[in-house]
Amino acid sequence: MLVTLDDGNRIVSIEGDPDNPATGGRVCLKGLSYARRVTCADRLLTPLRRKAFGPGFEPVGWDDALGEIAERLGRVRDAHGPAAALYYEASGSHGALGGLSMAFWRQFGGCTTTFGDLCWPAGLEATRLTYGDNRHNHPTLTTESRLILLWGHNPAETNVHQWRLILDAQSQGARVIVIDPRQTDSTDAADVHLQPRPGTDAALALGLARVIVDAGLHDTGFLGAHAQGFDEYRQRLDEFTPEAAASITGLAAGSIRTLALEYARTKPALLIAGFGLQRHSRAGQTMRAVALLPALTGNVGVPGGGWQYANLASHCLRPLRLPPEPAVSRAFPVSQVARHLSTLDDPPIRAAWIERGNPAVQNPAAHRLREALARLDLVVVVDQFMTPTAALAHFVLPAKTLFEEEDLVTAYWHPYLQWRAKVLPPPGEVRPETDVWRALCGRFGYDTSYFPADREACLEALLPAGCRLEDLKARPLDVSGFGDVAFADRRFPTPSGKVEFASGQAAAMWGVDRVPGYEPLGEGAESATRGRFPLQLLSCKTRDRIHSQFGNLDWVRAVERPHVLDIHPDDARARGIADGSRAVVWNDRGRIALTARVTHGIRPGVVHVLEGWCHDGDPDVNVLTAEGLTDMNHGATFYECLVEVAQA
Amino acid sequence: MSGAGFLLDLHRCVGCGACVLACRIENGRTDTAAWRRVLPLNLRRHPGGPTYFLSVACHHCDDPACMKGCPSRAYEKRADGIVVHREDLCLGCRYCEMTCPFGTPQYDEARGVMSKCHLCAPRVDASRLPACVAACPTEALRFAAAAAAPPPEGRERVPGFADPAGCRPALRFLAPAGARRAELFRSLEEALKR
Repeated sequence: MLVTLDDGNRIVSIEGDPDNPATGGRVCLKGLSYARRVTCADRLLTPLRRKAFGPGFEPVGWDDALGEIAERLGRVRDAHGPAAALYYEASGSHGALGGLSMAFWRQFGGCTTTFGDLCWPAGLEATRLTYGDNRHNHPTLTTESRLILLWGHNPAETNVHQWRLILDAQSQGARVIVIDPRQTDSTDAADVHLQPRPGTDAALALGLARVIVDAGLHDTGFLGAHAQGFDEYRQRLDEFTPEAAASITGLAAGSIRTLALEYARTKPALLIAGFGLQRHSRAGQTMRAVALLPALTGNVGVPGGGWQYANLASHCLRPLRLPPEPAVSRAFPVSQVARHLSTLDDPPIRAAWIERGNPAVQNPAAHRLREALARLDLVVVVDQFMTPTAALAHFVLPAKTLFEEEDLVTAYWHPYLQWRAKVLPPPGEVRPETDVWRALCGRFGYDTSYFPADREACLEALLPAGCRLEDLKARPLDVSGFGDVAFADRRFPTPSGKVEFASGQAAAMWGVDRVPGYEPLGEGAESATRGRFPLQLLSCKTRDRIHSQFGNLDWVRAVERPHVLDIHPDDARARGIADGSRAVVWNDRGRIALTARVTHGIRPGVVHVLEGWCHDGDPDVNVLTAEGLTDMNHGATFYECLVEVAQA
Repeated sequence: MSGAGFLLDLHRCVGCGACVLACRIENGRTDTAAWRRVLPLNLRRHPGGPTYFLSVACHHCDDPACMKGCPSRAYEKRADGIVVHREDLCLGCRYCEMTCPFGTPQYDEARGVMSKCHLCAPRVDASRLPACVAACPTEALRFAAAAAAPPPEGRERVPGFADPAGCRPALRFLAPAGARRAELFRSLEEALKR
């Protein structure tokens, strides 16, 4: 995006970069809201130290703060070893320089970190196992589609730039079909909407495949040349008649048949899967089942066709220069912070450094995580605002915004690597994290040469061969060399070199069946605990937040949607819940109270709360969610969550 | 050229509010109410009507009620159709707040004058789009030049708001498309006719 300042360094405009074809030169409201964010009154501008007596914080100088932090970190390490310190980083203020924190921790002797991801890892791994790589067609080719199937995806709320292209395709005659248990702004504009039970998508995908194969609509030419294990997969389809898939998914068999035939007969067809259908324990196998449909119908390597989940084409930076790996390192899955903070021993966690994240509300078992953080000897949080995580810290260090330090930014959807210029000096006492780490290294007498005096030279060294910073400063660049049509050459970097309908790697790495199948969720429509907790809770995203960011700003609050409990009239009536009344939602893990919205826009048996705690009054939904793991790649299981609801 | 105004495509608008923020930035509406608003309709998704969003600011009426109600002639209907308000002539009497049937003019307590959307007249004069239109991520909100073009095939242009005061708002809508929205919008229109 392009930022214009006046003589007083005030932002007078934020506009989309016209050289980025994916956005068409437009910015979403979150990008625009930075005009407020950088200067708003509640931004943290000075280091804070928790008061020795009484609640709250007091301002403290950087020297005192870092001196005391260094001393207390040193004490923790001397008493328990370096692994007693947890370093937790998330993806806020996303950029390449964040990784320099490890220049400190490696010299510290190591630390405990997290692995996996709360968001998207199972779908990434399923795509990699199937196609060999996470890449997809250039966004602008969306308009060449004749049919766009959005599966568990709501771009009208979560990717407005993609939605613009989908609407363009629709206005040129493409059919838009959405599979989602909820009505959303995307389903409102769609031509067809199917509302299956959450967590049954694998059965739906295999049911669709069965209809396609029975009708002889699979692309035998493509499959003969480019499919690995198709016969094994075909046997799996025996179990998934449309009627069997219908009874699992709660859809009509006729709808499954109709969708399958329309998807297979309309070319080119684009299948876009959201991250939502992989936020449960069967995530990887589900995503493999869905991801195979484009290959089955010969929609791979075709403009206007394809499989889209996430595009990692821009994730091509070279590694930062860091000290050698330390002797001690320990890690646990990021979805299980609460559990490990409480139970790890040898050594126990005694200190935590948290930056670019807000685990006290955004991670599963949030209330237990908060309790565990409150018991530590030292908690340091780096943030722009006093988040619920920062409120638990001993020291809160003020963080930069994306306008206040140069960096390189990669993307999730379009293929462009982008230069992020420093357009403003950090306000107040704010220092970029890289400067904080350098200063802390200085305190410990460590080598500070890993922190560049010249950030541009440091970033230039991260660029892939043939890419110059000078060119990147002029415009976003696709440096992947993959071309606009993914897999146009039909070369798949899988072990077999083909699209893997059966994957030996999936079995060997993750202990799952070679061929994707359907298994009921541990906590879902078919599980025994439904007797006590009969409703499936989804906690989805919408347009005005990225998790717990942006919603704190008055500008954004003025346009945000209500954060309420969506419940179907049938479920509400059975519990005596009136629209607009207070409801309690609970399970064995926790309990929240919030306003109910009785809506036809959700499947009976399913309730929904928007995730993302931004301000007082927002639902603390992650006290309900479990610390489960996805079947592959260490993801979280936010959407595998049964609850009961009653009048407050 | 007369007839400058907004065209809102109800099928493309997702009610995101980017237009509101772009207006705030462009017009310095930092700590005050925004000139533009997004009104969501039927967020409960009652099956009797469509869910859609109205992004509205000033309608730049052909016969502006604000102008007729202003004793100090602070309002001007420009030749291109834009209705501008001149703060230097404004008494702060708030009559226009009462005469405008759409609640557009806002009283600025701090400065004791009214203020409202001027369709980014300085930008328009420099051949640029209004900030809200330029920012709209889905190209739902458009400017008069686009409004003058015939609607896309199969899409119906519908007049703006009900107009009891007879001030002929220049705002126009493109009716929702998509199976569910279009069907529901038709049923809504029929209900209104009854």
